[in-house]
Parts: sequence; C-alpha cells; structure tokens
Amino acid sequence: MSAEHQHPTPSQYWKIAGILAVITAIEVALFYIDRELELGALNAWMLIALSAMKFVMVIGWFMHLRYEKGLVSRFFAAGFGLAIGVYAIVLAALGVIVIRGG
Amino acid sequence: MTATAERPATTIFRRPRSKTGIWSWITTVDHKRIGIMYGYAAFAFFIIGGLEAILLRVQLSQANAEFLTAGAYNALFTMHGTTMIFLFVMPASAAFMNYLLPLLVGARDVAFPRLNALSWWVFFFGAIFLYSTFFFGTSLPPIGPDAIPGNLPDGGGPGSFNWISGSPDGGWFGYQPNAGPFYSPGTAMDYWAGGLQILGLSSLISAVNFIVTTFNMRAKGMRLMRLPVFAWMTTVTAFLLLFSLPIIAVALFMVTIDRQFGSLFFAATAGGDPILWQHLFWLFGHPEVYILILPAMGIVSEVFPVFSRKPLFGYSAVVFAGAAIAFLGFGVWAHHMFASGITPVAQAAFGLATMTIAIPTGIKIFNWLGTMWGGRLRFTTPMLFAIGFIAMFTIGGLSGVTHSIVPSDWQQTDTYYIVAHFHYVIFGGAVFGLFAGLYYWFPKYSGRMLDEKLGKWHFWLQFIGFNLTFAPMHWLGLQGMVRRTWKYAPEMGLEGWNQAVTAGAVIIAISILIFMWNWARSRRRGRVAGMDPWDARTIEWMTPNPTPEHNFSEPLEITKLDHFWHLKYDEDEEGRPRRREDADAMLEHLEDVGNNPREPIHLPSSSFFPFLVGLGVPIIFYGIIYHTSIAGKALIVGGILLILASCVGWGIEPVDEPHYGDHDEEHGEEPVAEEGELVDD
Amino acid sequence: MTDVAHVEPVHEEHESTGVPTLKLGMWIFLSSEFLFFGALISNYLLYSNRAGFEGLYPAEIYDIPFTSVSSFVLLMSSLTMVLAHNALSRGDQHGTRTWLFATAALGAVFLGGQVFEFTEFIVNYGMKLTSNPAASAFYVLTGFHGIHVAIGVFLLLSLWGISHRRGGLSEKSGLNVEMVGLYWHFVDIIWIVIFTVVYLISLPPA
Repeated sequence: MSAEHQHPTPSQYWKIAGILAVITAIEVALFYIDRELELGALNAWMLIALSAMKFVMVIGWFMHLRYEKGLVSRFFAAGFGLAIGVYAIVLAALGVIVIRGG
Repeated sequence: MTATAERPATTIFRRPRSKTGIWSWITTVDHKRIGIMYGYAAFAFFIIGGLEAILLRVQLSQANAEFLTAGAYNALFTMHGTTMIFLFVMPASAAFMNYLLPLLVGARDVAFPRLNALSWWVFFFGAIFLYSTFFFGTSLPPIGPDAIPGNLPDGGGPGSFNWISGSPDGGWFGYQPNAGPFYSPGTAMDYWAGGLQILGLSSLISAVNFIVTTFNMRAKGMRLMRLPVFAWMTTVTAFLLLFSLPIIAVALFMVTIDRQFGSLFFAATAGGDPILWQHLFWLFGHPEVYILILPAMGIVSEVFPVFSRKPLFGYSAVVFAGAAIAFLGFGVWAHHMFASGITPVAQAAFGLATMTIAIPTGIKIFNWLGTMWGGRLRFTTPMLFAIGFIAMFTIGGLSGVTHSIVPSDWQQTDTYYIVAHFHYVIFGGAVFGLFAGLYYWFPKYSGRMLDEKLGKWHFWLQFIGFNLTFAPMHWLGLQGMVRRTWKYAPEMGLEGWNQAVTAGAVIIAISILIFMWNWARSRRRGRVAGMDPWDARTIEWMTPNPTPEHNFSEPLEITKLDHFWHLKYDEDEEGRPRRREDADAMLEHLEDVGNNPREPIHLPSSSFFPFLVGLGVPIIFYGIIYHTSIAGKALIVGGILLILASCVGWGIEPVDEPHYGDHDEEHGEEPVAEEGELVDD
Repeated sequence: MTDVAHVEPVHEEHESTGVPTLKLGMWIFLSSEFLFFGALISNYLLYSNRAGFEGLYPAEIYDIPFTSVSSFVLLMSSLTMVLAHNALSRGDQHGTRTWLFATAALGAVFLGGQVFEFTEFIVNYGMKLTSNPAASAFYVLTGFHGIHVAIGVFLLLSLWGISHRRGGLSEKSGLNVEMVGLYWHFVDIIWIVIFTVVYLISLPPA
C-alpha cells in the first residue's frame, strides 16, 4: 500500500467533516428559504448540487477513492451511472420525470 | 512465531478435515466440488422441469383436453419456467463457471473459497425452499367477485393433480396484481417470491466472487486479453448478475411486503402501479436472458477453435461483442412491455435499442463461422452441439428481431410465437451450448471420455426432437394460439401441429435418457482420457484428468493467448501448425507433476459455516411467510441468530496450517474477526 | 508484520490488479448496492406526489429539524470512522477502540432517531405502512436503509469487541476496519441522497 502515506491527516479529516456540516446547514437553510420564496426547480437543483458535493467528498476522501487505482473507480462509477440511467428512464416512462418538448 | 503453538489453545473451533464421505462434501470449499454439486443439482431440476413440460404437452396434444385443470396447468407452466431458468440453466452455468474459472485464469481456487461454498448452499437451500411449496404452500381462490371457476388446481376433473395445489400459479414473471395478495391469496406465491429472493442472493455472492477472481487471481502473464473466452463471458455474466439482481431483489421485497404486511405498491385499487412491477421485473429479466446465454456463448467459443484446429477468429471482437451485448442488455427491457401501455416514444426507442443487439450478436456468429472456415474440422459430439447452438440460436435471434418491430410484436405478444422464440434461444442456444461443454469438459471431471456413439445419438435425437417441438410453435402462434391457456377449441385447426409438438417433446426426453445412460456408464467405464484428449488450446488442460484437488502444481507463466497450444505447436515455413518435438515429453511431465506435486501445496481449509449460514436464510423466509403466528416469529429470530452466530464462527475459525500461503485468508462481507487476530503482532 | 509468512500468496496470482482482493470485492459489492437503493428511491419518487391517495403523505409530516440533526449525526459518524482507521494505521490501539465505539454509538443514535420518527408518524399522525403507496414507499426505503445501518453497527461492535483482545487489532484487521469503513461510508452517502431527495426536495401533491 504505497499510497497509504498520502492519506489525509486527522486534522484534514476534521476540516472535511466541517465542510460537510456547513453544506448540510446550507441545505436545511435552503429548505426554509424555499418555503418563503418558492424558488421551485432552482431550489431543487441547488439542493441536488450541494448533496452531490457531499456525496463526492465522502467517497473521495473518507472512502479514499481518490487514492485507489482507476479500476476501482470505474467499477464504482459503473454501478452509479447505470443506476442513474435506468431509473431515470423508468421514471420518465412512468411519467414522473416529464421531458418538455421544445 | 508463537502463533502456531497458540492456535489450538486459543480456539474451540477446528477446521473440518474429512476428505471423503458426506461431511467432506458439506464442508468443502473446493471450487471443483462445488461446481460438481451445482451440476448435479441443476440436472435434477432439468429432469423435474422437463417432466412438468411433458405434462403440459400431454394436455395440449388434443383440443379441449381434460387431462389437466386450468389451475394445474397454470401451476405447471409457472414452475416449468421458474425451474428451467433459476434452477436449471443458471446453476448449470454456475457449475461450469465454478469448475473452470480458476483453471482458466490459472489459480488455485476462486478469490473467496468459503463465500463460494456459501453461494452453493444458499442456492441449494433456496431451491428446496422454492420446491417445498408443493408440501406447504396453498393457492386459494381469488378474494371477491373475480373468482373464476376452475381456475385453481383443486377444481376437479380427471387430472386435477391435487398434489400440485400448493404450487405457485402466477407465471415465472409474477405479474401484478395477479400475483398479489388479492388474486393469489394463498402462500404459494410467497414461496415463489421468497425462493427467487434466496436464489438471487446466491447468484449475487457468486458474481462478486467471480469478478474478483478474474481480475485478481490471474496467473503470471495472464493479461485480460489473454483470458480464454469462457473466462471473459463468465465475468461479463457476473457483471450482469451484479447489477440486475439488486433490482429484482427490491421488486420481490415489494411483493413480499405487499402480500405479508399490507403495503400497497402494486395495489391498483389503492393507487399503486402494477406497471412499476413490469419495469423492475424486466429491468432484471432482460439482462437475465443474457445471463442465460452468455456462458453458453463462452463455451462454444472454447469448443470451435479446438475442433477446427484454428485460433478463435477475431478473439477481441468476440470478447467486446459479449461485453456490448451485456451493456445493451440493460437498455432494452421495455420491449417486453410493448403491449402494456407505454408511450409511443418509449416504444420507438426500445424497439430501436433492441435491434442494435443484433449487431454484437451477429459479430459473434460470424466469428464462430470464421473460426470454422478453412479449419480442419472434427465432428465430435461437443462440436456437433456447438454447431447446433449456432444454427438454433440464429433462428431464435432472428425471430427475436421480429419482436422489436412494435406492430409486429403486438400481433405476437402472448402467442406461441413468443414461446417458440425464447425456446430457440434458451434451449436451442443455452442448453445446446451447455451440452457442448459437458461433452467437452467431461474428461476434466471424470478422467474418462463420454461415449461418442451414444453422444451422437443424443445430439441427433435432441436436435430433431427440439425442432419438431419448437418450430411448429412459430406457426401455431401466428395462427393465434395463445400462451398460458390450457385449452383450445377443435375448430381452430391447431390440433395437428400440437400433436407434432408433443411428439417432439417425447423425442427430446428419449435423447436425454440416452445422455443419462451415457453419463452413468462412461463415468465408470468410459475410455480413459489421459492428458489432453482433445488436443486443446487453453490452460485448464495443462492439469491431469481428472483435475487434482490443487489444480496446478507449478506456477504458470502465460506468454500468449492459447498458451497451452503454443507450448505444443510452432509453425512451419508456410505458417501451418507443426507439433513440437518435445510436446509429448512436456505432456508427460505435466501429468507426472500434476499428480505428484514436488512440494507440499496448501489448500483452503474446509468449513462448516457456509452450510450453516445457507441453512439460516430459508428459515428466515419461512418465518416471514408465517410471521403472524408465534412459530413464524420464532423462525425469523432463530434464522437471524443462526446466521449471526455462524458469521461469528466464520470470522474466528482458524486456518489449519498457517505456514503456507492460503487464499482462504480473504474473507467475505462479514469481516467480524480474522485468524490474524490470533497472532501477536 | 510478523505474520507475513502466511499472508504471502503461493503463486503470484494474487492481486493481479494490485488492489487487495477483499477490498476489490467490497467495492464491487457496493457498486451493486446503487441499483438496490436506486430502485427504492425511484419507487418513492413515483408515489410521493401522486395525487389522490387516502391519508397523509410523508412529505406533509416530515420533521425537518429533527431529521437534519439525525442526518448530521450519521455524517459525523463517517468522520469518527475514518479517525478509527487512521488511528489503527498509526498503531494507536486505544484511539482505534475509542473511535470505533463512537462510530457505533452515533449509528445507534441515528437508528434511535429513526425509531422515534416512525413511532411519531404511526402513532401521532396515523400514517402507516398500509395507509397509501407513498407511505409504503417511505417506510420501505428508510427501513431498508435502517437495516443497513443496523448491520453496520453490528460489524462495528464486533470489531470493537475484537479490539479488546491482547494485542488489539492486527495489520490484517486493519484491512477489516477499512472494509467496515467502506460499508459504513457507503451507507452514509446513500443517506446523503435520501436526505436531500426524499426529505428536502420531495413535495406532497399540490
């Protein structure tokens, strides 16, 4: 495990956790802001973007995927990408995701 | 190291050491033995599923026959489909994968030997669970006004087959809400859902194991693009299992929770969506089709080069086409739902996607033909089955393309045309391929050869019987004979072909009896195979026959695709293969070293725990079915405790001889504790 | 590394990819879990705002402040998990034990929160599994996630128990702490998705 020494230090882990906590706080704040301002789709996309940041940070640093061989990332991404792809199509076919024609 | 001395003292567990007898089979972690057990179990279910089919055919051999009631007919076609897919073709493929994958990649065993044993035991107990429905299950009349007289197994009639009354009768696809709590209120469909869930768990564990084996356990120099095609197809199949089984797991959980705990996922009257079931089922179900066929494609890709004395034509194209089929297989599921009310855009998209599958499939077929082209063909039994595979699979593939044209599909949906199509791909394809593999690799298992003369009788009778059975179903279907219906009227004019179909089914049965006779006889008295009976190309034949427990005695160093062939042959001036002078000496050496390894070889230790964990799984599912009673609750708790306790035992049982390396050091998903704990660092 | 002798493979066939075999298996297993939770989340999205059901929709009765806190707890358990792994890699047995236990405890707090939430919904609001498809989807999705957390807590407590043996957790167990860690973080990222998609974004039908 030659890559071991590159792993973050405890203080870096604390910083990452702090960022994750702050993002979560922003998400919850957005939820309440949306109740007042009714941002609709914009709010949804902001929330998705924020949670995607958390998702990537946990995988990259806590699960050390950044330090693994590319093969592992490809396997993992295959499962994730396939899930997104097929379920998006299922939801579109069932009319949950509506594709608006131009 | 103090560890060795301490080990017996620190543990109450001893690894089981029997090498023969029933306990050696229960505790084995040897991939070859596990493969053999898979093989025999699969064949037993092939016979059971075949007998179910014969009963169906007897009923259909006459118009308006009274042999079976409608209910018994429903039960039999449900169990025939479920058995043939989940209890025959999948475990039969698993048998080949287990036996061969480590040999093909040049390894001692799979990556996780005990998990491999777990897969087998979960499968075994899952199969028993599913079939125990005949003893414990019930199918009751639908609740409410929708009850259809005679729609149940115990509805009377001369062939009411009351013993079938506990069988699931909702089809292997379990469409909702028909298979839901309202229309199938008995416990039979719970046995079906639970059984499939358990079998899926088994396959998921295998899938992880096989993928890791292929990627991590390769011999030195065995690059990915030097892997035999069967190893590739095993890996591709494992990926299909890996990604499709979680989907059906969720869908089956939803069915079970609907039926047992009153959730409303598929309850149309409460706003639930039965179409969701179809999406989830076919999202699994279509990759499943490729799970059935890809291993057979891998097998024939091994057989053609050997009996054509040529390398596989376009090796990399065959491999990539297999991967492409798998990838596309995830994007075509809704072609099973053209008649279920999906939007025109979806119909067009899925129709087109379905057509594209023909491209990689065609690539494979042309590559196999290209392999035979100009080769020195030997028409042995495995070769005949492989050629039969190409011909039959191509017919099935072409009729499949006709389904991708949506208006045509509307005409064909739920007719015997569909039945003809999928039997051509699954029986004509997968089963012919599996038989090719059985004849080809039988020497590895037994050290003897299957009889060629009986083999050819088997092939030709099966080939003729198969076509007589399934070819007429095309025209029966186009004439309007509907599937899953136990009677047809005499004035429909379908009787003649139906009698031909039934006659064909009997011929298939005879051919299988010949095969069984051949097997039983050859296993003891067949011609002794010796080393390399087929003049083969791949490295599994570098071990003696039957394969010794430790596989390879000496470390391998792979230098080429078809490594073994190139050890035996070089080329003359015109590029034709010329046998090396030292080839025979090399074979003698391999046989000698293979049977008498020069240094002690440590093998993964046997274990009771896979058996015990596997035993716990169906106990939980019995408990879920009867959860309203005290006994049911006790079964759930007992099953969970058995599994947890066995996992702890699994984690802390010691390795026998720590001095030699041992694959078994790696553990599964339950890394509760390791042997390493017992060592003072 | 006194136990090198029996960790060494017979052939060089081990780890052709350079990724430890157990770790590769774990990543592959986790990649399939995306399909599992994807199906459950899709199921919830299908029903969560379909109009016309009887009874309450989950999105009408979410207690966002409460769920935010329990989400935060689960997120922080990922921190304690990596700290446990980090402590072990530095040979700090005491720190490993402490952080493993903290992780299990945070997981248990999360599960307790889930039990409280379910009880609240069922007893106070009367939204049961059998009320309507949206409620069914909610309970089954969050329930299966809860089962995953519970399995994780079991694994963590097992590791914690072993860590009390003489000599504590070994190098080989270091790999196991890493495996349980991978599983634990995975359960966490699934909750990150559920918290956003199911709790924050989903709306009852207008």
